[in-house]
Amino acid sequence: MESRNVIEIDNLNLFYGDFQALEDINIEIERNKVTALIGPSGCGKSTFLRTLNRMNDLIENTIVKGDVILDGVDIYKEINLLDLRKRVGMVFQKPNPFPMSIYENVAYGPKAHGVKNKAILDKIVEENLKKAALWDEVKNRLDKSAMGLSGGQQQRLCIARALAVEPEIILMDEPTASLDPIATLKIEELINELKKKYSIIIVTHSMQQAGRISDKTAFFLMGEIIEYSDTTKLFSNPQKKKTEDYITGRFG
Amino acid sequence: MNIENETLKKKLISKNRMAENIFSKIFFLSALISIMSLIVIIVFVFAKGVPAILEIGLMDFVFGKLWRPSSNDFGILPMILGSIYATIGALLIGVPIGILTAVYISEIATKKIRRIIIPMVELLAGIPSVIYGFFGLIVIIPLIDKGFDNGGNSLLAAMIILGIMILPTIINISDASLRAVPKEYRENSLALGASKIQTIFGVVLPAAKSGVLTAVVLGLGRAIGETMAVILVAGNSPQIPNSIFDRFRSMTANIAIEMGYAFGLHQEALFATGVVLFVFIIILNLGLNLFIRKVGD
Amino acid sequence: MKMINKKVASVFLVGILTVGLFAGCDKAADNQTGEEYLSIVGSTSVTPVVTKLADAYMAKNDGVKIDVQGIGSSAGVKAAYDKSADVGMSSRNLKEEEKQWGLTETIIAYDGIAVSVHPSNATAKLTTDQVKDVFEGTITNWSEIGGKDEEIIVVSREDGSGTRGAFEGLVGLVAKDADGNKYSTLVEDALIADGNGAVKANIASKENAIGYLSFSYLDESVKTLSINDVKPLVGNIENGTYEISRPFLLLTNDAITNLANDFIEYILSDEGQSIVAEKLITVK
Repeated sequence: MESRNVIEIDNLNLFYGDFQALEDINIEIERNKVTALIGPSGCGKSTFLRTLNRMNDLIENTIVKGDVILDGVDIYKEINLLDLRKRVGMVFQKPNPFPMSIYENVAYGPKAHGVKNKAILDKIVEENLKKAALWDEVKNRLDKSAMGLSGGQQQRLCIARALAVEPEIILMDEPTASLDPIATLKIEELINELKKKYSIIIVTHSMQQAGRISDKTAFFLMGEIIEYSDTTKLFSNPQKKKTEDYITGRFG
Repeated sequence: MNIENETLKKKLISKNRMAENIFSKIFFLSALISIMSLIVIIVFVFAKGVPAILEIGLMDFVFGKLWRPSSNDFGILPMILGSIYATIGALLIGVPIGILTAVYISEIATKKIRRIIIPMVELLAGIPSVIYGFFGLIVIIPLIDKGFDNGGNSLLAAMIILGIMILPTIINISDASLRAVPKEYRENSLALGASKIQTIFGVVLPAAKSGVLTAVVLGLGRAIGETMAVILVAGNSPQIPNSIFDRFRSMTANIAIEMGYAFGLHQEALFATGVVLFVFIIILNLGLNLFIRKVGD
Repeated sequence: MKMINKKVASVFLVGILTVGLFAGCDKAADNQTGEEYLSIVGSTSVTPVVTKLADAYMAKNDGVKIDVQGIGSSAGVKAAYDKSADVGMSSRNLKEEEKQWGLTETIIAYDGIAVSVHPSNATAKLTTDQVKDVFEGTITNWSEIGGKDEEIIVVSREDGSGTRGAFEGLVGLVAKDADGNKYSTLVEDALIADGNGAVKANIASKENAIGYLSFSYLDESVKTLSINDVKPLVGNIENGTYEISRPFLLLTNDAITNLANDFIEYILSDEGQSIVAEKLITVK
C-alpha cells in the first residue's frame, strides 16, 4: 500500500557558504497531487525545489542539513544520484530543448538510462509526446530540429522529455513564466491530466495559477515555510498574517 | 538665440558626419590592404609556378615519383604523400588529446586547476616552431632510434611533433566553444538522470560541434604548413614513405631546403610546389567549411 | 562622390604596394654612415675559416663590418651571381652552367672531406669502392663491411651542398642520364642534413650512421675512417695520398667593391694564409 506522502522533509536547512537559504523546512508532499510553492522572489522556493532532485549539488559550497525522504529513502544519504533524478524529473522555467531533433530530445533520457532498442525508443517517444499533448502537432516532423518549435511547443517537448524517463514526481520551476496565455492554458490543462499518474510540485509566481491548478499550496518567505495547507483553504482563509498580507498584495 | 543654437547643432552634425566618413574610409582601407596582400601573394606564386607545371607536365609533376633536379626530374608525389601522411598523423595525435583536454578544462577541472592549465596551454602556443624542432631533435629522435633502430628521423617523429604543435590551437578553440554552450543544456541533461560524462558526450560536445570542427581545421592548417620543425626531424629523403619509421620530405621542407640555391626551372618547380600547397589548402578549407555548415544544422 | 573616393583609395593603395615591392629590390652596400659593409654567403665548409679571417681583418680595420653566412655552396654561387651578396663561398668547383655566369674564382685554401662514423663504431677503414657502394645503397648492413648486424644509416647533404658535390664527384657517385645531364646516385632514403654541423650532430648521435664532413668540422664527437688505408689528415692531402679533397673558392662578380678586393688580398697574404694553415692546406 502506498503511503499518502511521497516526500517527507524534516528540519531541512540549506546554506550557500555562510548564507542560509532555507530554514527549518518541515513539509510532507502528498502523492498524486499538485503542490504549489508561492512567495515573493528570492525567498527559497526554487532552492527548495532543487533540493528534491539534488540539483543544488551543482552549486559549489552548498551545505544541506536535515532529511529529505523519498518513499522512505533518504535521498542525501542512501540513494544513487542518477536513479534519484530518474524518479524525480524537472521542467525548467525557460523551455530548453537540446539542439537536436524532436525525436532525439525525447529519446535522450531513456537512452542515457540504457534503452537501446529502436522499436522501444520509438514507442517511448510516441507515448510521451502524446502524454504531453504534442504528438499530433509534431508526429510528421520528428526528425526536424526542436529549435523550430514555438515557445509553448518547446515547453511541452521538455515535459515529454522529462516524462520519458518514467519519473514518479515532476518538479516544475515556473514552467509558464515565459509563455503566452494560450500556451499557458494548454500546459495547465496538461498538469491537470498528469497529476492522475504523477505527483507534481510547481513553483509559481502567479497566485491565480496556484489557485487554478494546485491541490495544496505552501507559502515561502525568507527561506521559511510560513503556511502550508489545502489551496482553497490557504487562499480563502489564511491562518498567518504574513500569508494574508501576501495574497492580498500588500507586498510582493 | 535660436539661430545660434541651430548653427551650432549643424556644425556638430557635420563634424560627426565627417568623423564617420573618415573612419569608414580607414576601415575600408585596412580591409583593402588585407585583401591586396592575399591577392599579391597568390598572383606571385601562381605566376611563377604555373608555367613550370605546364613545362614539366601536370601528371609528371604531381604524380612523378622522382625528384632529381639535376636530371630535370621534378616529380613531387613523395613530398605530397609525405605532407599528407604527416598531417593525418598529427591530427590523429592532436585532435583526440586536444578535444579531451578542452573537455577536461572546461567541464571537469576545478577553477584552481583551470587557472594553472590555461596559461600553460597558452605558453605552449607561444613556443616558436624551431624550438619544437629542436625538442624533436634532442628528445624524440633518440627515443625513436633507441626503440626502432632507424636513426630516429622519421614520419613518426614529425607526426609526434606536429601533433604537439597543434594542441594549443585545438584546445583553446574547443575550450571556447564548449564554454559557449549554454549551461541550461547541462542542467537539463543532469536533471534527466544522465551522468556528467553522458552529458558531456551526449549534449555538450554535440552542441559545440561546429566550434570544435573549426578548431580541427585550424590545427590541420598549421600542421600542413609547418616547415622548420619538420625539416629538423623528418630526415628529408625525397622518397615515398612506406612506413611511419621511414624518412620523408614534406612539400614545405622541399621548398625551404632548396630555394636558397635553386635557379631556372628548378626554382620555378619550387614555386609550383607552392601552387600545389595552395590548392590543397583551398580545397581542404572549402570542404571542411561546407562540412561544418552541414553538421551545424 | 562615394564611387570616386573608393577608386582613389584603391589606386592609392595599389600604388603604395607597387612602390613597396620595388623598394625591396634595392641593395645598399654602405647602409650606415662611416661604416663599410661586406656580405659573404655560401658554403658551410668554408664558413669557419672565412669567419676567422673576417674577425682578424675587422680587428685590424676600424669601421668595417663583414657578415659571413653559411647556407650552402650552390646558394653562395647563386648569391654572387644575382648580386644578393658581395662575395660567394664555394667548397667545390663550379659546374658547367655556373661557369657561364662570368664570376671570378679565387682559391683561398684546400680542404679534405672525411668519411665519419659514430665513435663506438668498430669499422676503421674502407676502400673507395666500398664508400661508393655504401652511399649508393648497394651495401646496406654494417656486417657487410666488418661491423655489427645493423642497418647502415647514410647521412648526406642537401642538393646544393658543395661538400656533397665534391664528395660525390671524387668517389664516383655520379651517373649520366639520357640527355647527358649528370646526376647523383645517392641512395634514395639517405638522411638529408642541412649543413656540415647538422651532419656531424647526426653522426655523433646515431650509432649506425655514416656521413662525410669537411676537415674543418672534425672533433672528438665523431670518428673518421681511413680511405684506401690513408688517414684523413692535412699532411696526407699535401703529399697527395688522401684523394678526397677540394678547393675553397671565393666568388665575386663584376660589381666587386674595394673592401671585397682588399679582404681577398688579405686572405691570400702571409698573415691570412697562416690562419688558413691552422686547419687547412694553404694555396701556396
